[in-house]
Amino acid sequence: MDFPSSLPPSLFTTGPLGLSDVPDVSFMCSWRDALTLPESLPQGPENAAPHVAKGLLWEPDTPGPLPLLPPGPDPWDPGVTAQDLLFRGGYQFRRQPQAVLDVTEQVSGPTVRSATRPGLCLVTWPPFLLQLSRFLWDHGDIAFAPLGKLMLENFKLEGARGRSKKKTVVSVKRLLQDLGGHQPWGCPWAYLSHRQRRFSILGGPILSTSVASLLGELLHEELALRWEQLLLDDAFTGGALAWVPGRTPRAGQLVYPAGGALDRLYFQKVSLTPGSEPRVLGGPGHIRLRGPVRQVVTHTVQGEALLAVRSDYHCALWKVSKQGQPAPLQVLQVEKGATGISLSPHLPGELAICSRSGAICLWNPQDGLRQIYKDPETLVFRDPSPWRWADFTAHPRVLTVGDRTGVKMVDTQGPPGCGLLLFRGGAEASCQKGERVLLTQYLGECGPECLHPTLHLICTQFSLYLVDERLPLVPLLKWNHGLPSAPLLARLLPPPRTGLPRPLLLAGQGGELQLLHVAGEGASTPRLAGPPQSLPSRSDSLSAFPLLEPKSQWRLQERLKAPAIGLAAAIPPSASTPVLSLFQLSAAGDVFHQRLHLQGEPGPDSPAPTASWTPQATASCSRWLKALLEVPPAPPVWAAPTFSHRRLLGCFEPQKAEGKAPEGLRTAMAKGRLLQPRDLGLLPTEERAPAPEPGPEDELSERLEAAWEGQAAAWWERRRGSGSGPGKQPKRHKRRTQLSSTFSSLSGRLDLSDAASPPPSPERTLPEARPQPPVTPPAQESTQELWARGVPSERQQTLRDYMAELPLRGDAPGAASVPSSQASSVRATPSRQRAAVRPGSQPHWKKPRMGF
Amino acid sequence: MHSYFQILEDSDSNKRQIAPEIIWRLGSEILYYHPKSNVETFNTFADRMKNIGVMNYLKISLQHALYLLHHGMLEDANRNLSQAETWRYGEKSSSQEVLINLIQAYKGLLQYYIWSKKKMELSQLDEDDYAYNTASQNMLNHSWKTSINLCALIQIPGVWDPFVKSYVEMLEFYGDQDGAREVLTNYAYDEKFPSNPNAHIYLYNFLKREKAPREKLISVLKILYQIVPSHKLMLEFHRLLRKSENEEHHKLGLEVLFGVLDFAGCTKNITAWKYLAKYLRQTLMGSHLAWVQEEWNSRKNWWPSFHFSYFRAKSDWKEDKALACEKALVAGLLLGKDCRYFRNISKQDHQVLKKKIKQMKKSVKKYSIVNPGL
Repeated sequence: MDFPSSLPPSLFTTGPLGLSDVPDVSFMCSWRDALTLPESLPQGPENAAPHVAKGLLWEPDTPGPLPLLPPGPDPWDPGVTAQDLLFRGGYQFRRQPQAVLDVTEQVSGPTVRSATRPGLCLVTWPPFLLQLSRFLWDHGDIAFAPLGKLMLENFKLEGARGRSKKKTVVSVKRLLQDLGGHQPWGCPWAYLSHRQRRFSILGGPILSTSVASLLGELLHEELALRWEQLLLDDAFTGGALAWVPGRTPRAGQLVYPAGGALDRLYFQKVSLTPGSEPRVLGGPGHIRLRGPVRQVVTHTVQGEALLAVRSDYHCALWKVSKQGQPAPLQVLQVEKGATGISLSPHLPGELAICSRSGAICLWNPQDGLRQIYKDPETLVFRDPSPWRWADFTAHPRVLTVGDRTGVKMVDTQGPPGCGLLLFRGGAEASCQKGERVLLTQYLGECGPECLHPTLHLICTQFSLYLVDERLPLVPLLKWNHGLPSAPLLARLLPPPRTGLPRPLLLAGQGGELQLLHVAGEGASTPRLAGPPQSLPSRSDSLSAFPLLEPKSQWRLQERLKAPAIGLAAAIPPSASTPVLSLFQLSAAGDVFHQRLHLQGEPGPDSPAPTASWTPQATASCSRWLKALLEVPPAPPVWAAPTFSHRRLLGCFEPQKAEGKAPEGLRTAMAKGRLLQPRDLGLLPTEERAPAPEPGPEDELSERLEAAWEGQAAAWWERRRGSGSGPGKQPKRHKRRTQLSSTFSSLSGRLDLSDAASPPPSPERTLPEARPQPPVTPPAQESTQELWARGVPSERQQTLRDYMAELPLRGDAPGAASVPSSQASSVRATPSRQRAAVRPGSQPHWKKPRMGF
Repeated sequence: MHSYFQILEDSDSNKRQIAPEIIWRLGSEILYYHPKSNVETFNTFADRMKNIGVMNYLKISLQHALYLLHHGMLEDANRNLSQAETWRYGEKSSSQEVLINLIQAYKGLLQYYIWSKKKMELSQLDEDDYAYNTASQNMLNHSWKTSINLCALIQIPGVWDPFVKSYVEMLEFYGDQDGAREVLTNYAYDEKFPSNPNAHIYLYNFLKREKAPREKLISVLKILYQIVPSHKLMLEFHRLLRKSENEEHHKLGLEVLFGVLDFAGCTKNITAWKYLAKYLRQTLMGSHLAWVQEEWNSRKNWWPSFHFSYFRAKSDWKEDKALACEKALVAGLLLGKDCRYFRNISKQDHQVLKKKIKQMKKSVKKYSIVNPGL
């Protein structure tokens, strides 16, 4: 192999940073590396270094990447954001989080990006206590249930001597039932059982300390972990998208994970045509795995296409046949969690796996699994990150082992533990303070020997380094990439045409893309050729989508901004201008595609043509968007409890209601979205007469009293014969106002369902029927008395709850067809019988009596 | 940072200091690549940036000179470097010193270019000419200046290939062989310097030019072998070792060949395979089976799939028949005649290579380290 005959001048200092004030002579200008010093005079500096590289520009066909495949059927949730974790109350804690790796080192120092200390408010107590108390309140079941489970069936709380056993022994089973989403009134806050109350009084002194301290510790740990993940989520280092070349150079397969949990590995055949967008051939095949796929690596070694997949605790190897069928070779379990996997470019089937424990293992079909290196400590200096990485080198028995502080070359045949440092995060590479290795990649693997097969790419959050394994510690090239997010994905591509430098793609976690060219073969040193290019990211495609209502627009934006977790590219052979097909995978499981073509020699005066959206592109975007909006949005991880309307939904089932309206209501309820007039197939309705004044009230109190005694059905039977239409309307109105005031979200829907009923209800347009804050309106205070007459004041709340329960069912579509009192229709309709005896409605309204 | 003026107002002194650096970096990068930029624009920009603050003068001057050098404007570059050389700010700090050394070295390099141009002119002149004398006088002057400029920098640890190369060439031209040797030896063996393969290569080439004894050459290449066993000089090293009388060297010769062929970039090096086939046969004939086995033991579990797989046999035969034959002989010797690679190649029917294949079969039968009887 050739070695560069003359290396670029560079100063060599050793040791950690900041010990000497030797200047950084690698000026971090890409053009400086493009300068070639005239070697000797016969050629002369005038005609040396022809400017071939200057016109090396890739022009995107469209202003942004386009979706290649329809969105998956599973909703996507962006997960916890920094704002979620940061306490929003106090101003001093509202700091912008920054993607830095090392918190302790970033505090000071004249770095180019002078980093502020990330808002680590987690360690400051007052907001944390606030958070904890909110957590206890919001997630009572999580906070208290495990403790209760530990305390077995019954436990005794020693109270005062005078108290009876009944009052000091609490059945945990029941308590758990109360806490565990068991909503007797459809709303967990509407009802607090006496048991819970008793428990909280008796257990208060104990629970308040033990739970808070136990839980606080765990919560703190979890929050710290989440925060770390927000700073840098290194799970997808290396990328989970792979291009497996097929039988012809223009056909191939995209291998990527999709599905809500990214646990299904898809194999999608794609055909690349130089003139048009890539065509997707048939539906994708998929393999279901037991965990989320984090990394997909592919290599064709000696004509054998191999595919290695890393999940959190498992690694697997497939062999892809010529027809594109994957056949499993091996599955390996990594107990402490795998952080990296790489396939040997030299020996078929050999792969290296890195574990969080610091061990690097080599697996091959002949010898099986072998641990070749283990060091729980980091290489150069102490760093808490358990991230490890391994890759191959030009020598098939030598591996690079990397962590956040450096990269070492390890001979698998030599004595364990020894090796030579290839890269040190320190003065040797004139690193900045806090600079950490994020990715290392062996670049010599792609067959044709146009670049030194000994080059390694090392990416940190600030810079990119090219290191030759024959000259350890001295980077041959250093360039400040300036990516705002961590560069975790890099791909070196074969030269688009013979004689041209090789494109190197670099992608940040946030989806930013950069395209560089690496030149230098034979006796010349590797250098960057041509201007570094920033390629459009997925969020640049927003303009191709039609404008939406704000909520959907926001959803689309969020989806386009999903972190990049995979990058693949292919240059299909073409006679004319080379075309680069770029595929991106987002954390939402979307595969985007962009075509770039190599710009011809531009004249100095010709303006660069700007890409614009083609009608086909916008059409495909619209199609994709339509499919995306059909996917229900991800249910929030937790939201304030509302009505469990699904339970109510069950009551509707047996009812064979006529018309489109009930159907619309039901689907709207099932999806939990707002009911709109068009769902009911309604045209805008005309003005309605104002509601009549409340009618005689004694009927209602009569009924309530009957109901209180558990004879509501009998009362109704009694009433049925003499029941009359107009007299019932006012009562219904009152109940409705009650409902709307207590549970605002549903009243709007109910209102609309009413509108659909054939006899137009007079109160349809009443303002009370609109969504309102749950504050009792003054108008209600007066009406309340009417139907609460004769009821002890402490029971009124219970009564109100009961009232709330009734009209809910009463306003159901069934009621719409019966113009009489809805509450009564519930009990009277034969098909309702199941609902009437449903546990939770009838028995429960009696219970509170015990509490008083 | 939104604008330069804004940053001047910044209360953070770090930010204030870094700002010119960022502006320079971005600006120079744009001006370097922009199709409409020219040298004048760059000059104006660089001159302005140099004088903002005091910390960046030397760095920017140096890069400015490099830019001019790249554009063939040697004189402008020289003037620039001379200006920077004499610039001082406050007390001389070590960082300033290194930069000034670097600037001087680049200036020396420029003078070397001029010198080597003169040398070219001189070689075209008649020795009795009057012009010859003045030209040689000129050259001497330059050389003296250059050596002063260059020698300071190359004492500092670093990679200074172009400077060392040109300095040694000038020293050699003026007959200062000892000086040149000292420079090269220091560059190669000083422990404070990074292990730069080029340092050893330069020393080796110098010693070769000097017609140094074989032992001396071998000792230099031995170190290079430890640093870069895949270097192309290793084949030359093997030849030297083969010619040596020392038995140890013969053994090392075999090791070197195996070492070269370990590397992915050397798998198709036909010379290496030819040497190995020949030397392997020779070694086995000389009944040094132990040497071969020692080398083979660490490779027997991966060389077969790395070099001698069925796929390789097919592709090698398709691409380079001579290479396939050499490899087949090695495969046969190391793995026996049942090896797939050997079988595949020996099966091939080829008019020209018929004789060679026949010979190969014979050698394998006779010398293979795999005894079929066992």
